[in-house]
This record gives sequence, C-alpha cells and structure tokens, in this order.
Amino acid sequence: MKRREFVARASAGIVALTPGLPRLPLRGRAAPWLLVPMDDAQSDHLKAYGLAFRLLERGGKAEWFLNYRGGAFLVPADGATSRDAALAGVTTEPLDDGRLVEVRGEIQNGNMDAVPLEKAPKVAVYAPPNAAPWDDAVTMALNYAGIKFEKIWDREVVGQGLRSYDWLHLHHEDFTGQYSKFFLNYAGAPWLVEMVEQNRGMARSLGYPSVPAEKRAVALAIGQYVERGGFLFAMCTATETLDLALAADGVDIAAAYADGSPMDPNATAGMRWERALAFQGARLELSPTMPVYSDIDGHQVNSPDRRQPLGSFTLFNFSAKIDPVATMLVQSHRQVIPDFYGLTTSFARSRLKPGVTVLAEETGAPWVKYIHGERGQGTWTFFGGHDPEDPQHQIGDAPTDLSLHPHSPGYRLILNNVLFPAAKKKELKT
Amino acid sequence: MSSFRLVRIPLVLLSLCTMPRAAAAQQATMPRAFELERRGNYDAAAEAYRGILSGKPGDVSALLGLERVLLPLNRSVEIVPDVRAALAANPSSAALYGVALRAWGASDQPDSMRAVAERWARIAPRDEAPYREWGAAALAGRDREGALQAYRLGRERLGRGDVLAAEMAQLAISDGDYASAAREWLPAVRRLPGYRVTAVATLGHAPVSKRPEILRTLSAEPDFTARRLESELRVKWGDPLGGLAALESGLPQARGQGVEALRGLVEQLRMQRTRDGLVAQGRALEAIAARLPEGQAARTRLEAAQAYSAAGDREAARRMLSGLADDRSAPSVVASGAATALLTVLIGEGKLSEASRRLTELRPQLSGEEHAELLRALVTAYIRLGELDRADSVLGRDSTIEGFALAGRIRLYRGDLDGAVESFKQAGPYAGDRADATRRTVLLALLQPIEADTLQLLGAALLRLEQGDTTRAVAELETVAGDLPAANGGAELRLLAGRLAAAKGDPALAERLYREAASKEAPATAPAAELALAELMLAARRTSEAVTQLEHLILTYPESALVPQARRALDMARGAVPQT
Repeated sequence: MKRREFVARASAGIVALTPGLPRLPLRGRAAPWLLVPMDDAQSDHLKAYGLAFRLLERGGKAEWFLNYRGGAFLVPADGATSRDAALAGVTTEPLDDGRLVEVRGEIQNGNMDAVPLEKAPKVAVYAPPNAAPWDDAVTMALNYAGIKFEKIWDREVVGQGLRSYDWLHLHHEDFTGQYSKFFLNYAGAPWLVEMVEQNRGMARSLGYPSVPAEKRAVALAIGQYVERGGFLFAMCTATETLDLALAADGVDIAAAYADGSPMDPNATAGMRWERALAFQGARLELSPTMPVYSDIDGHQVNSPDRRQPLGSFTLFNFSAKIDPVATMLVQSHRQVIPDFYGLTTSFARSRLKPGVTVLAEETGAPWVKYIHGERGQGTWTFFGGHDPEDPQHQIGDAPTDLSLHPHSPGYRLILNNVLFPAAKKKELKT
Repeated sequence: MSSFRLVRIPLVLLSLCTMPRAAAAQQATMPRAFELERRGNYDAAAEAYRGILSGKPGDVSALLGLERVLLPLNRSVEIVPDVRAALAANPSSAALYGVALRAWGASDQPDSMRAVAERWARIAPRDEAPYREWGAAALAGRDREGALQAYRLGRERLGRGDVLAAEMAQLAISDGDYASAAREWLPAVRRLPGYRVTAVATLGHAPVSKRPEILRTLSAEPDFTARRLESELRVKWGDPLGGLAALESGLPQARGQGVEALRGLVEQLRMQRTRDGLVAQGRALEAIAARLPEGQAARTRLEAAQAYSAAGDREAARRMLSGLADDRSAPSVVASGAATALLTVLIGEGKLSEASRRLTELRPQLSGEEHAELLRALVTAYIRLGELDRADSVLGRDSTIEGFALAGRIRLYRGDLDGAVESFKQAGPYAGDRADATRRTVLLALLQPIEADTLQLLGAALLRLEQGDTTRAVAELETVAGDLPAANGGAELRLLAGRLAAAKGDPALAERLYREAASKEAPATAPAAELALAELMLAARRTSEAVTQLEHLILTYPESALVPQARRALDMARGAVPQT
C-alpha cells in the first residue's frame, strides 16, 4: 500500500471513530461539509465569523483550522448553514470526506491545528446607553458579522452582572473618569454635556462621591471578572485607562474638573502597577487639558509635540499546536496591516509587564499594537487604536461602513477574539 | 631573532592596544554618524556622535545629532553630561543652550532649565529665543505652568506686549480659552503676518459655542489684521457672505494690499461650492476687478461672471459679461470665455432664439470646440422644449460621438427606437460625462428587449420625462407596457415607471408596478424589480417585509449581478451597517 493511501485510509478511520461534527445524512453525492476559506478566496471575511457563530448558536459544531487557508472554518453542509452563507455572501467550498481527510493530513503535517468550536460565547459590550453604535469598532464588527451581543454599563458591572457573560468588550471608555480628557477643550459641546451628566448621574445613583471613584469601582469589577475566568477585549483608550484605574489605588489621578480635587502631582510615583493587567512604570500626564493619560501610548496622537506618524504593524507567527490561543488571535489573510490612531494607539514596549504576549508590533518602533495576557483564570487582549478602517478617526466623523471593507484584516483581529472563547478548552501553553 | 625584531614586538603590541581609540577617532566622522542615523542604527549613531564630541565637545552638529538619536532610543536623559561639556567648551552658542534646555527638560529638572535659560538670556538680552525654548522644553515635559512662567518672564523682560504672543496663543488654545487665544494671535499676526494661517487654523477648531466670543474679540479691534482674521474665520465656519462683509469693511485704501486680501479670500472660497460661497466669490472677484486697471480686469470679471452663473445669479453674471464678449480689445481667451459664459446664461434662461443669434455673431471669438459645445447645449435646450425638428436642424450633420448621442435622443423621442439604438451605439461610452453614458446605457437596456422598430407612444412618454412631466410619463409608460409581453419590454417599462412613481412620491403606485415587473417570465428584470420593491419597503420602515423580499431575491437569483447590492440592503435593514 502506498504511504499516501495509507495515510488517507488511516485518517478516514480516525475521523469515523471520532465523535466530531454532527453530519447530515448523505443525500446522493452531496458533500457533507463546507469549508469556509479565509484566504483571498473569501468574499466576506468578516461575515464568515458570524456564520460560524450562528451555527454554534443553533447548537451546531464547527472547527477552526488555524493557519490553514488564512484560518478557515469547517462547518456542516446543512440547509440552515448553506442558506446563511448564501444570504451573507460568505464563500464556501463543498468538502467530501476524502478531501477532508487530505486537509486534516495537511494540517497535521504543518504549523496548523484544528480547534473545535463548541459553544457560542455570551457576548457583552460595555458601553454607555447613548453611545452611537457606529462609534465603536467592536460594536460595528459584531453588527456587521451578525453576532448577537448585549450592552451593559456601570450598574450591571458593579452589580455583579458580568457573571453571566463569557466575553466582554470595553467600548472606548475612560476608566479614570475624566471624560476622555475632553472636558476643557470641548466644553459646551452637547455630546460632552450629555456624557458628563450621564456619568455624574450614574455615580450618584450608585453611591459614589465622584465619577473617577465610580469608574475605578467598575475597573476593579472588570479586573475581578478576568480573575474569575472571563475573556476581556479592549481597544483604544479603554486599554490604558483600565490599567491606570486599576493601578491608582489610593492615588488621585483625576483632574479637578472630574472629582473636585487636582491630580496628585506625585501620582506617577504612587501607582501600584502590580494591580494592573498589562502595563507598569508609566509616567502620568499631569496637564488636565492635554487629552493624553500617560506615556503608555506610543503615538500620543493628541500631543502636538509628541505625536508619532502612523506606520504598519506585523502579526507574529506562533506555533499553532503549542500556542493555539495566540495563533487564534492572529488568524488573518494579511500579516502586515496599516496602523490606525486612537486616543491610545499603541503600547510602549518599555511599559509592558514581563509576562505579556505581544501579538503584533511595528517593526523597529518602540511600541507594539496588539497584546494578550492572563490574569487568574481568565485572559485579556488589548488592541490599540480606534477604528482599523478609519486611521485618523475624529469626533463627528462619518461612521465606517463595513460592507465596504469586508476583507478588513484589522477587523478580523477583533472577530478572532470573539470566536476564541468558543474554542474547546484544552491545556494552553501560551 | 635579531634585536630589531625584539624591539618591534612591543611596538606592535602597543599599537594594537591603542588602535581602538585611534580607529574610533578616525571613524567618528559626521558623515558616518549621519549614515548610521539614516539607517536607523541609533545605538551606533549615538556612539559615533559621542566619538566626535570626545574630540570636540562643543561641536553643535554632533550634539544635535546625539539628541536626535537618543530620542527614539528613549534615552534622552543620557545627553546631560555631553551638554555640560559642550556648554563649557562653547558657552556662546545659542543652539547648545536650546539642546541644554531640552536635556534638562527631559530629565525633569525645572531649576536647571531656568538657570540655563537665564544664562542664555544674559548672552542674548534682546532675544525671545531663550524664553521660547524654555517654554517649549517645559511643555515637552508636560509642565504647562512652567511654560507659562517662561513666556510671561520673557514678555516682562523684553517689555513688549507682542513678545511670544504666538506661544501664549497656542497655550490658551490647549486650555480651551479661545478668546484669550484670539487676543494673543492678533499681536502675533500683526508682527509676523505669516502667523495668520496658523491663527485661523487653530481658532477655526473652536467649538460652536465659543465662536461668538472670538468674533466679538476680533471685531473690537479696529485694524485690518483683525478684520482679515474675522473674515477668514467666518468663511471657515460656513458664513462666506459674512466673511466678505467683514473683509470689505476694513479693506485698506492701498490697492495692492486690498487686492491681495481679496484674492486670499477668493482662494478660501473656492473650497465652498454652496450658493452663498459662490455669490461671495463672485462679489470678491468683482471687487478685485474694480481695483484693477481696465486691461487686467477683464479676466477677473469673467471669473466673477462664472461664479455668479454657478450660483444661479444670472442677472449678476450678465452684468459682469455685458460688453466683455463684444470687447475686441479684451484678450482672446477672455473674450471667448465671456462669449461662452454669456451664451450659457442665455440658454439657461431659455432665450434660445437670442442665444442662436448671438452664437452666430460670436462665432469668430470662439474656437471650434467651444462653438460645437455651445451648439450642442442649444440642441439640448430645443430637445427639452420638445422642438425636435428645430433641434435636428441645429444639430445638422454632427458626426462626433456627442452628435450621435444627441441624434439618438431626438430619434428616441420621435419613437424611432431602431434609429435611437443605432445612434446610441455609435455614440458609445465616451460621449458626454459619465452620467450621460450611464443614461444611454440604461436606455439601451430598456430598448433592447422591445421587438418593435418604432413606438411613438414610448418616445412621447420618454420626452415627457425629459421635460419633467413625470406623472404623465408614468401613465404613458404603463400604457405602453400593457401592450408588450413581460419579457419583451413590458417588465422593463413597468420597472422604469415604478421608479419614477417612487421618485415623485407615489409609493403605492410604485409598489404595484414593481410587483408586476418582478415577473418570473422576465428573469432579466425581476431581480431589479425585487430590489427596488425591497428598497421601497425599507423607506416605508416595513423592515421585516423588506428582509423577506431581499432574502427571496438573493436565494432565487443567486447569479444576478444585483445580489451584492441586495446583500448591502439586507445589511442595512438588519442594522448591520450604518444608514447612509
């Protein structure tokens, strides 16, 4: 028997014995599987994640072929999935058992892995009630891909409401309670007035003396959520301010307009970085008018004299079989991605804690873009920048229409994070 | 071994021991350091610059180079010893004091910064630079108060109110204090007019609520600098006529200065294609023309006429053009431009006989191409009036692609479908602009399935559409469609009639026509009709019906070219993408 034939038969036997994906009874010669390619053959990369997610929601099973054809999905060729793919415009390729065995053989022999996707995670997006759905990249990605989520805010977080969610995304919130430090520069702007009123009202109703105090309580609850096994994903300024709020134990890091007392001039020295998730040793911005928090951000977009130009960032290659988590998070059909600004655009290398996994960096620059780490039973992932397809996003800009960017590699990284909690847990070596 | 050899060995060893230092000194040249810096090898570049400084501690270029490369390495603080040595070696170099201020700023030593600035100020007592650099270094260290102190001290020492005004203005902007910023910008611009652009750019970002205060601050000042700033800000904030009025109220008597200011305003207004923007542009150009010698004014008057014409103010346009088109002394380019503009105005006003007569009269002033374009504009106007024979006669035997496109329209409206198709095909995709080409393609698609060579009723219906009588056009199109099989034009005509009904605000009629057009007997038309029907439902907020309709379209006609559009509409219906 030739080796190839042997491998094929042996693999077929293994597949037959494995209680893997439920399959429809074969009708005629119809292929029982659909491969959802995620390389350049895919016509809508972002909606492909929604296809997989909805299949899991229906109780179906899927597999994520890490590093195989850009991170392809294997789904059963049932009527609902086929219809869903047709409506969403997601490219699928019929796959019969023989070809599937070949694919599995290919995966076995390369830096690839097949990860079963078992259960749709329950997704929460932390956002104020009046937040425009089009001002947050994750909300846009979830809406576009057709992934269900619930919006929660401070009352739910402080009231232990996070327990019922597997995955939490933080809208670009300022957890230092300083209204993104726009308070002075945009004084009188209706949106800012509304934001201030809403936050002050919430702090009062929850019994906190100020918005910074209340936001710190929210940050602590989010930290505990991760400790207990939650999956946290944050972008833009939520990354930096969450860690600043966690580390500011007994230190006033908020300007007088936010809590009535000026920022402690020695705040930098008083920070307790062991409480933060990702960063350490940062120097805090003391000016109440400068919409910059610290030197964690490498790009300092709102500081005219320190602002750095945009370049591009490169995703790292990880070993799929040894580091499946990191591999899942960097699945993409593009390895080099144009950078984009946010209130926090990137993370200074010098401010990262030693255990942080860097998922993407700008080669040669003193900052990184995309990081991941663990805390207790859970994990967190931070992605710098505001909107991957609007590199210079400004307040009041037109919303990004993702139907014009169905192949966005930046948005894919967000959706990798959404599906990552659906993966069957196994011993993670990252 | 000879004694010579024994002596040589220690010499060789000695030379080997001293070589690194000598080699370093030899290699530590500015070109090499620059090259290392250019390549991004900052560590090596820092060493190279230090090598130069070890020999010449006061070398300004090397110290500046070292400062540059230490910054990306996040090691700016390390420059302090080099700066000390440089200042000791070259205590009169202003550039070194600048580096020193930044170095002590980076190492967070405000007292040292002040001391260095004071030292520098003693060397250059009438210079603002020590205070400016001190303030900048303080700002780099996020010390706003330190910067303010530096600027105030500079102003006090130099004894003038306009000292460091631009810096104070920027500081006020960063505090959100726009009125103070405006007050500071004024002396800064008076002293150095080049600051005007920055002043307008920074003040221009003021929130709406702050703008009246800024304008009040500026209007309280009597001079032309204030008027000009006010004018440019008003234009930037969407009040072009107010901007023009502000500028005109303070225009200096000096002709050159006035013209320069008006031209600046015109340049700013060119970005604003609103009616007010165009009127303001026309008036500013008219004002410029009034200030120019007669020989030079013609071109500007022409530009003013074009701006007025684009704004729809034909009276003003004609006023500008009067005499210009017939002026034999005007430059030929101006005369032909004026003739073109005048004829365009006449055609726009529907004075076709006068336009025709003037076109003949002005023929010598026009190039062949200009004449042909105006002729076609005249033909188009006759077509719109329904005077097809006159249009045909004016068009004559125009064998250009634009001519064929017009001939196609004349034939179509006469009901000669075969002739229209032939002419449109001859016109091809390049006649007119993209919209014209698309319109012809749509008409070809409409006519293609119809088997009849002539259909006068259809021509009449389409002419009514051209003339803007949509209601009668819809009724007549439906009548014609009733006589045609669905697959042979019936469905297409109903779809067109449905679109027109929707556009004129009759959704019930549009829905009926779309449903009739979405016939399985006309599979080429049905997807478009279904999509149009879904869009109609979406507009009426009948979202779930629209979703069902779109899903039906995508699943029934998966190969249709309209499927991507249907998916986008589906996304919008489901709230997956923003409503645009």
